Amino acid sequence: MTEPVLKIEDLHVRFPLGRSLMDRLRGRPGRIVSALNGVTLDLFRGETLGVVGESGCGKSTLARALVRLNTPSSGSVLHEGRNIFVKPEIAYHRRVQMMFQDPHSSLNPRMTCGQILAEALTVHRMCSPDRVPARIAELLDLVRLPQDSAGKLPHQFSGGQRQRIAIARALSVEPEILVADELVSALDVSVQAQVVNLLLDLQERFGLTILFVAHDLRLVRHVSNRVAVIYLGRIVEIGDSETVFRSPVHPYSQALLSAAPSLDPDERGRAKRLQGELPSPLNIPPGCPFHLRCSLATERCKQERPALRPVAGRGQVACHLSEEIANAN
Amino acid sequence: MQPILSIQDLTVTFGSKQGPRLLPAVTGVSLDLRRGEILGLVGESGSGKSVTLRSIPGLTRQYGTLAGKVMWEGRDLVAMSDASLRPILGKDIAMIFQEPMTALNPLLTVGVQITESLKAHTTLDARARLRRAVEVLDLVGIPGAAGRLNDYPHQFSGGMRQRVMIAIALASTPKLLLADEPTTALDVTIQAQILDLIAQLARDFDMGVILVTHDLGVVAQSCDRVAVMYAGRIVEEGTVRTVLGDPRHPYTNGLMWSVPQDVPPRTQLFSIPGTPPSLWNMPPGCAFAPRCARAEARCTAEVPSLSALEAGHLAACHCPLGGAQ
Repeated sequence: MTEPVLKIEDLHVRFPLGRSLMDRLRGRPGRIVSALNGVTLDLFRGETLGVVGESGCGKSTLARALVRLNTPSSGSVLHEGRNIFVKPEIAYHRRVQMMFQDPHSSLNPRMTCGQILAEALTVHRMCSPDRVPARIAELLDLVRLPQDSAGKLPHQFSGGQRQRIAIARALSVEPEILVADELVSALDVSVQAQVVNLLLDLQERFGLTILFVAHDLRLVRHVSNRVAVIYLGRIVEIGDSETVFRSPVHPYSQALLSAAPSLDPDERGRAKRLQGELPSPLNIPPGCPFHLRCSLATERCKQERPALRPVAGRGQVACHLSEEIANAN
Repeated sequence: MQPILSIQDLTVTFGSKQGPRLLPAVTGVSLDLRRGEILGLVGESGSGKSVTLRSIPGLTRQYGTLAGKVMWEGRDLVAMSDASLRPILGKDIAMIFQEPMTALNPLLTVGVQITESLKAHTTLDARARLRRAVEVLDLVGIPGAAGRLNDYPHQFSGGMRQRVMIAIALASTPKLLLADEPTTALDVTIQAQILDLIAQLARDFDMGVILVTHDLGVVAQSCDRVAVMYAGRIVEEGTVRTVLGDPRHPYTNGLMWSVPQDVPPRTQLFSIPGTPPSLWNMPPGCAFAPRCARAEARCTAEVPSLSALEAGHLAACHCPLGGAQ
């Protein structure tokens, strides 16, 4: 692998909640949602990094922080050696593009597909004004939309076609990095496959780096080179996608990855079931944040937070017992 | 064995009678459900799976026109008046929905919402109703059930809310549970817990379940039989093992292959070309023909009927894929 295009270092994102009247009367401090608690991550050129976790674990917060939609409370994201949060640059916003889950709310319903693409092209001065229609035609061709699409409004398209417009908009400014937050989650299976194929194809053609956030584990496994499993705002396991999916080390990854329902009825009842639910990010347990739901938890897990460290033959794992688990299977 | 529910040639159309055209949401659906059986109804959005489910207790009546029969204990639910349906719905036939936060009343405690249906359908007194409420909350796995009767829906997490909704449905020990995408809004880990719960309850109480979902994995892991719907019709039906193991309709086969399982990573996935047809503008003949690689001249002219390819395996296709070798 080459040098990282994006270096995320110890990123924390906290959202303070308003203090209620009762809190003020009792003199209690305001409560804080800790969405990201020290994420350190390198994104390498040309790779797809999958991010998985339960809802509320901070995976979307991470994606949004990368395009500066969330401001971190501490930590940094380095792009070509510069912290993106210190000196905002319009060039960064061109080179990193985000695609959202719900194209109903991410595409302006009153702008035609052509206007949406033209706006992106003119804001970033991608080409001279007289070249814009030709470039739009090129982009529509690229995402396999019919040429008469430019004059249509978003509601005239199907869900899969709207996501193609979102992809075309992102690609119009020739980015290096695409951040896909649940890009295909709202689509039907047969249409999902079309959009995923398109994304893989475009990545190959333009050498794009993709951060792929999704809750569909089978899909993440399919598109990713590496995968990061997030629990309560921390990475608990990161490594080569096939290795992590085939033999996960962290007890949480094991439970999460086996929860995806298999298409084979013979595998019924074989999966390891996870007890309980995600604790509130308002009140993160001390020690290992997973110890309340973990069947292997020891006294040490309740006291001491495990650091993310490499495990031989696997990726990096944040678990006190990772060596024992890795050796056992 | 006699089925507890038998849907015969159900057709649901929407649109005003004065309007120029009627929208055929469901066309000629026939299904049987036995006691203790979990039937999966699977399809993409707009395929008519939810409309079929909601038409069983007549929830689609006020919006559209129902034709055909829904036979329940010798009576046709479609022909019954709202007043005569009342003693059956919520007692013998219960329903759970996709989004528990909109299906539960946010202004009433869960205790009130559970005892409400007991009050309507049983002769239990107030104390016995509360006891039953604790019992069902306990049954669906809510920790400290007795202490949570006075909590409001917003005080529960998404998975726990879905459990509350199942508890309300179970309170009067129904014989049939209609579940409309009960786990779609939940995380995979919680989804697994809820599906296990539904399967266990179906077994323990010999309750029939119709489970609407778009996820073939959910079907594989929890259903006994499955019916695949496309553009308002059932295109394939059979036991889970035969339909998923040996799909005969090209649409079912395409759906199976679109799921990235056991394919080399980062390769092109199999995808069905095109998009599902608009119900306003249905192609003549087989609705799947424009997207089908096997389509012949006959497919664009004549609607295929659902017929048995072998015992217990039905498909609606003029040129079905050729069975297991």
